[in-house]
Amino acid sequence: MLEIRNLTKRFGDFEAVRDVSISVPDGAFLVLLGPSGCGKTTLLRMLAGLELPSAGQIVFDGKPVSDGDRNWTVDPARRNSGLVFQSYALWPHMSVRGNVDWPLKVMKMPKADRTRRVAEVLKLLDISQLADRYPNEISGGQQQRVAIARTIAPKPSVLLFDEPLSNLDAKLRVEMRTELMRLHRATGATTVYVTHDQIEAMTMATHVAVMNHGRVQQFGTPADLVDHPETAFVATFIGTPPNNMVPIVRNGTGYKVGGRYMPVTPPADDCLAMYRAEAMTLSDSEGETTLPMELVETSAIAGRMMVTGLRDGLRLTAIVERAPEARIGDTVQFCLPQRPDSWFGPDGERIG
Amino acid sequence: MAQAAMGGQGRRVLFQQGTVLKAVVLALLVALIVLPLIRTVMFTLHPDTVKAWSDVLTGRLSKNLFYKPLGNTLLIGVVVATACVLLGGFLAWLVVMTNVPFRKTIGVMATLPFMIPSFAAALAWGSLFRNDRVGGQVGWLQGLGLDIPDWLAWGMVPTLIVLTLHYFSLAFTIIAAALATVNSDLVEAAQIAGAKGRRILMGIILPVTTPALVAAGSLCFAGAVSNFATPALLGLPVRMQTLSTRLFGMIEVGQVGRGYVIGILLVLISGAFLWAGNRIVSGRRSYATITGKGGRAKRFDLRGARWPLCAVAAVVLLSSTVIPVIVLTASSLAPSSANLFSNWTLHYWMGQSDPSFAQGIPGIAYNEDIVRALTVTLGLGLAVAFTGMFVGLLASYTTARFREGWASAAITQISFLPLLVPGIAFGAAYIAYLGAPIGPFPALYGTFALLVIAGTAYLLPFSVQTGRAVIQQVGGELEESARITGASFGRRLFAITVPLAIRGLAAGGILIFVKIVRDLSLVVLLFTPTMPVLSVLAYRYASEGFGQFANAITVVILFISIAATLIANRLQTKSQPWLQN
Ligand SMILES: Nc1ncnc2c1ncn2[C@@H]1O[C@H](COP(=O)(O)OP(=O)(O)O)[C@@H](O)[C@H]1O
Ligand SMILES: [Mg+2]
Repeated sequence: MLEIRNLTKRFGDFEAVRDVSISVPDGAFLVLLGPSGCGKTTLLRMLAGLELPSAGQIVFDGKPVSDGDRNWTVDPARRNSGLVFQSYALWPHMSVRGNVDWPLKVMKMPKADRTRRVAEVLKLLDISQLADRYPNEISGGQQQRVAIARTIAPKPSVLLFDEPLSNLDAKLRVEMRTELMRLHRATGATTVYVTHDQIEAMTMATHVAVMNHGRVQQFGTPADLVDHPETAFVATFIGTPPNNMVPIVRNGTGYKVGGRYMPVTPPADDCLAMYRAEAMTLSDSEGETTLPMELVETSAIAGRMMVTGLRDGLRLTAIVERAPEARIGDTVQFCLPQRPDSWFGPDGERIG
Repeated sequence: MAQAAMGGQGRRVLFQQGTVLKAVVLALLVALIVLPLIRTVMFTLHPDTVKAWSDVLTGRLSKNLFYKPLGNTLLIGVVVATACVLLGGFLAWLVVMTNVPFRKTIGVMATLPFMIPSFAAALAWGSLFRNDRVGGQVGWLQGLGLDIPDWLAWGMVPTLIVLTLHYFSLAFTIIAAALATVNSDLVEAAQIAGAKGRRILMGIILPVTTPALVAAGSLCFAGAVSNFATPALLGLPVRMQTLSTRLFGMIEVGQVGRGYVIGILLVLISGAFLWAGNRIVSGRRSYATITGKGGRAKRFDLRGARWPLCAVAAVVLLSSTVIPVIVLTASSLAPSSANLFSNWTLHYWMGQSDPSFAQGIPGIAYNEDIVRALTVTLGLGLAVAFTGMFVGLLASYTTARFREGWASAAITQISFLPLLVPGIAFGAAYIAYLGAPIGPFPALYGTFALLVIAGTAYLLPFSVQTGRAVIQQVGGELEESARITGASFGRRLFAITVPLAIRGLAAGGILIFVKIVRDLSLVVLLFTPTMPVLSVLAYRYASEGFGQFANAITVVILFISIAATLIANRLQTKSQPWLQN
């Protein structure tokens, strides 16, 4: 069990992480997902023991390892965790082999075991042939593998990754994603993985914590997040393409949806209605629930078309079978389904 | 997971992380930099000495004590700063943006004058241009039969020329760095938009480099107004005073209070200009970072002007580097500077004492004073290099590792404070600070320790800067990833930090060594006959009319500085197996 209880981190007056509580079972793959600057790295560094929490506890397997309330912490090296830094942090004056070997040396592992273990992890990550090169003599993807090899060599039971794929190009990223999942199965280590890329989160995680402004917006399985977003932020952050969020305002006796009167029955006077992209359609003529939008983008996705329209700052995306006749810049009628998928209050909380 | 928290002995974190370290560093910096300055001010406010303020500012003598030197100082500052920006900017433009022949050579040569102490150039000027106005030997040109007018031999004009030829190199470095960030894409975009040479210069290049021009101007101004050696050697014999020579004179004759007041005013003036320059620059947006990296594929084609412009650059560069060195060397060998290139003798270098020659002063190899000064100077350079790098590393580690909080901001600000204080004023402050006993501590005047402490404090801006570069190389995640493995502090230090940092540290230490070895303005007031240093001896010999000895000593200083600089450059660029690309 990895448990985080009411964890808070302040830098001066600024709260980088606010009152975070999460718990996952052994062997879980927990992804911390959120936009840049939301406190993911700070949370990860507290897990690694590099930062002391300002309040709250971190508990590995029933044993507290950090306690911000008592200013008490277990040394990073004593937590049996390993961290892969975003910059990789390979020691530039040591060869690939040296980088992987040194932590084992520090652990006082006997020489023969060390040699065996180094060979084993280099093979696991498919970089045996690079053993004698220096970090600046290998590519970014290879450096990434070395950083991972170095971290898993001491067999930590908690593995921490800080945006490990963000410096790689798109194709390599997809390959490494598969590779990391294979690695997770092979080591069985509880993994905490930080990313701002929701696709990574959805494909790799057993548990996802979506963060914004230092808070956990929602914690659950990837399917939970898609099927049942708790906040408007989660609803628009998750999914490809993202969900549509349309503001609704009460005006007299009726409701204006995205600027037009429509027959809806929202649970509150001012709120947001969420429509899934695959529930939207295009229509040739104006109808009861259509919104005229300027066509700004079309692109083919898995045999279907993704169509995006824009008007007055409102952006709508629909997934349809066939591209519209209209050209970019023309006006297209986006047809909303009769009932929205979910309702959110003006503060972003789900209300129905 | 079962063993996750095994051996999980935690520890209590008693203080906020870094509190102790910050407190120690802050106390050290306050003791080294803030207290001397405060003590100087306090001294002038003491009831016995407070009259010095009115003497200097409003008294009967104030015109001679302060206002005339002030006028000279400001004139020097404005003219030298303007000339340096023009000259340095011109050379930077040639090197970075045009296809002038020998671009690389010009680029390297233009950084050299700043490596040569300014008193070397002033001495060389004397050996060439002295006339018989103040007696003593005449210079080479007068010896050739030319009649050198007074204005060219002494006073303001030669001071301006020598200082410009010294400080333009600083302006060059700053402006060239800024020009190098003007991406060729930027210029090409303007060309595509239809702009021609002049428009591109005025519309694109100049606005983008304005912050650098202002920075270069204010740094050259601050350097020129606080320079001591050049006005002292070329101006004092004809009673031209600047604030720094006045300060020196006041303290020499024992009018310490007035000296300190002048020193404080000098600090305010040079500080005000640096501050103003900084304000102008930081008020603007910095453009330099907006552009990505881009090779400069195309250079501005000078066509027919290539060789003439190259010749102009050559004249400037030769007269600021090669000619002074040749003149100094020749004059240390020639019995008469009127005949620089004949009757050469090694007497001034290794002659025994001979009553018929130079009043019996032996050559510098047998001159006990000079040999002692050499030992003291080298020892001082080494000691300051060590202490400076130590304090610099400590301060920059503290601010890099614990960024937040007012204490870190204070450490950064204080460590750069000496940049605002001219060397001679800093020296004066240290006399006020440690010249008399403080509590149980004895007075340090005349001791090696005083020189080391003052030198360390004075050069702290450079050592902190070097320390920062080193910390950036090794600090942060590289060190943390070693910490996570459980390696102890000592082990991390020797396996990770030192191997990565050693070259940077050595190079930084050598640069500090060079700065202190060739410094005159800081040590000229701290000098005592029991603790002589080379640069002050050279200055004394020169002002007593023994130009050859002064020049020989200066050649030694030059040799040490150049050798050390070359070693430092090599260390910085020398290939490391893990840096090869
Ligand atoms: N050492 C620090 N001192 C002050 N502020 C910090 C420090 N580390 C992070 N922050 C701030 O905390 C916030 C969260 O940072 P971080 O955890 O790095 O975000 P993320 O990794 O999600 O991009 C940012 O606004 C950052 O500026
Ligand atoms: Mg981050």
